[in-house]
Amino acid sequence: MTQKKELFRSLVAEHEEMVINTCYRFVFNRQDAEDLAQDVFVEVFRSLEKFREESKLSTWIYRIAVTKSLDHLRRLKRIKRFGTLKRIIGIEDTSAEIAAPFNENPAEALANKERIKILQEALNQLPDNQKTAFILSKQDGYGHQEIADILKTSVSAVESLVHRAKKNLHAKLYTYYKQH
Amino acid sequence: MIKKCNKNIEAEVENTIHLLDDLQPLEVHHQFRTLLMQKINNEYYHELKQVNNGFSQFLDLRIALMALLIIINFFSGLLLFQNNDKQLREGISEVLDSRNNDYTNHAFAYYDQTTLPLTDDNRIP
Repeated sequence: MTQKKELFRSLVAEHEEMVINTCYRFVFNRQDAEDLAQDVFVEVFRSLEKFREESKLSTWIYRIAVTKSLDHLRRLKRIKRFGTLKRIIGIEDTSAEIAAPFNENPAEALANKERIKILQEALNQLPDNQKTAFILSKQDGYGHQEIADILKTSVSAVESLVHRAKKNLHAKLYTYYKQH
Repeated sequence: MIKKCNKNIEAEVENTIHLLDDLQPLEVHHQFRTLLMQKINNEYYHELKQVNNGFSQFLDLRIALMALLIIINFFSGLLLFQNNDKQLREGISEVLDSRNNDYTNHAFAYYDQTTLPLTDDNRIP
């Protein structure tokens, strides 16, 4: 057990930053990202014996992070359906709030917060594989090969997914800004 | 005017998409690892408890099954024994009957035993 714990400790030390930031790019909320990262590592600890070395250990961990993040977004979508009811009752849903990611003046921070909300809405309308490929391609540390390994697909497929995601995202945002 | 408006929209779209590029990476909270290890310890002990519970349940089930098997074995043995006993008795009585029949046959009989009424003449002193 102590040997497993030691191995696990070193794994956490090596990958915690990458896992937290991966989750953060999906959920845009520090608290949720940290909670998700905790869940990711608990899952890693539970399934460490089941890891079959078909892929790199890091790829396996990041795949768990992506899966957990997508699950969280799905859960949020479900919660959002009851959001209207919550607003009527007067309960504020803090989990859905987005943390301002920049150290700017309040006006800019507010504008960015609003923009992030819009971006998140648009991203959530994309299919899961496009969304994942696009978000990971925007994060430092992920090459197309690594993304392909996480999504269990080819590099050319990832390139195609990123291209389609950009196009769809652009179209969705364009429509939104045209209407508002 | 429309062209300018489209340009503005295009700029907004680009700015929004570029937010992902400008997103500052998060620094790991200093308590992240402590909390995680606490969770792992809880998880491990919970797992251990579950395994123990599962094992004792399995053991209980095994003992119950063994007791059931012993009872079934005992009664099936008893039934078999009773059945064999009955068959054996029947077999013995059949053999005895056939032997009796054989020796009580008239052909094998040395004498005919007739029962005489008990009188003073044939009474044994």
